[in-house]
Amino acid sequence: MTPTLRQITPLTTEFSWNKEISDGLLQYILFIKKGLLEDFKKEIKEVRLGFKTLSISLHRPLEKAEIQSWLESKALSAAPTPLPDRILEIPVCYSGETGRDLQSLAKTLALSVDELISLHSAPLYRIHFFGFLPGFMYLRGLPEVLNIPRKRVPDRTVPAGSVAIGGNQTGIYPMESPGGWHLIGRSPILFFNQKEKYPVMAEIGERINFRPITLQEYERNLRHPFQKFNK
Amino acid sequence: MTSGLGYIKVLRTGPGTSIQDLGRIGFAEFGVPSAGAMDTVSVQWANTILRNRLDAAVLEVFQPGLKLQFMAPTEICIAGAEANIVLNGKPVSAGTQQISGHDLLEIGAFKTGSILYLGINGGFQTEEVMTSRSWFAGITGQSQCQKENRLTYRANSKALNSTVSRVKWNFDWIKRLELAAYPGPEWELLDGSNQKKILDGEFTISVLRNRMAVQLEELLPNSMPEMATAPVYPGTVQLTSGGKLMVLMKDAQVTGGYPRVLQLTEEAVCILAQKRPGEKVRIKLVQR
Repeated sequence: MTPTLRQITPLTTEFSWNKEISDGLLQYILFIKKGLLEDFKKEIKEVRLGFKTLSISLHRPLEKAEIQSWLESKALSAAPTPLPDRILEIPVCYSGETGRDLQSLAKTLALSVDELISLHSAPLYRIHFFGFLPGFMYLRGLPEVLNIPRKRVPDRTVPAGSVAIGGNQTGIYPMESPGGWHLIGRSPILFFNQKEKYPVMAEIGERINFRPITLQEYERNLRHPFQKFNK
Repeated sequence: MTSGLGYIKVLRTGPGTSIQDLGRIGFAEFGVPSAGAMDTVSVQWANTILRNRLDAAVLEVFQPGLKLQFMAPTEICIAGAEANIVLNGKPVSAGTQQISGHDLLEIGAFKTGSILYLGINGGFQTEEVMTSRSWFAGITGQSQCQKENRLTYRANSKALNSTVSRVKWNFDWIKRLELAAYPGPEWELLDGSNQKKILDGEFTISVLRNRMAVQLEELLPNSMPEMATAPVYPGTVQLTSGGKLMVLMKDAQVTGGYPRVLQLTEEAVCILAQKRPGEKVRIKLVQR
């Protein structure tokens, strides 16, 4: 599980793992991230994550050899801590009104709308990292039968809260944005709050699942902060 | 000397005028782009001359046709693109200007470069969100300046530079053709002929150019697959599946799925930011 170390610029270093995306890999990435933030607290300006990569931006250059030897000592230390147990429930109104591509996507996938909804809301999805938009979670766990290429021409506006499928991924748009995924529903809750010290609803490594709700329930809970649903 | 808050009233603006500082650093792991000024070299010049903090907030201007009224005395410094600047009906040059209450400033045609910066004594005092005043949709209340907006600053009638000799302004760096770049994480995955094309070729700035990315027009035959989504930064040059080189700028998302073939230096990002559609650039590889 030792990553390849690569200096991108004198102030940016990337750790990459040539491995399949998995819980085990995520566990290791988070282990390295935590260690770096503890041991190079003063030097690290910012951290970015991908499915197989972790990068650090630095205030001042660090010798590659210094990070390399740190990594080697880390590899010999205790096993990484397990991923968190918490599961967050996300209410989603799956409907034509809240997900304009629901009908057409079901048709393309040769499923009934109900089948699509139950396939999408059954699994537990793992949060791997945040990217694309503030508070947008990259999730793993979409059933293969729901994989669908992204739209050839992206939509100019995807409403905030939209739940969508693109490629082998599913996600929630925390804010209005252009986007190329197929929209199947919408969650009423707020996924990002820039006024909070911790602005997102969940931590990397936690799991979420989608709970179907009615349009009435959607409207009643519109713009509610996420904390209300997951105390 | 008067003090207290003053404000600029925006009488007219084209698209793309915004408040920017050196960016929102430390929130990328939550998916928050850095934002911040496209050309930090010009911003830091303006702030240095004004004796501001280097990260003081400035007004970033993409289009001619800006007309502002100052409601309190201050000192400003105009940097970045060379443009026709008119203060109270009289043409003035780039650099510092003393401002009195009710002064009118107009920015006309750009002669060199494409982004102009207006720095102000003490920096703009607009809202600070997540440690930065840089405007970004979804983070700050506003992402672009509108007519009638009020942009606050600290009123200050004390002339700061009146006894200092005027800075000699030089626009030559904006005209530089070469962009210095480190090899990107996926550089070695490019085939030799594409590496050669990137290093030997001249590339044209596309009209598809904004605060998120600058596209280059020339296409490369690309057979590289998309990759698992990975971190990207301002200055990352992606090779899209359509064969376009796309240089990510300050409002770019923090992760991407296209191969990252180059990483521009911070200075190269500033030079590129000042290029206009149709202008050329070349890549010069530098070692880490």
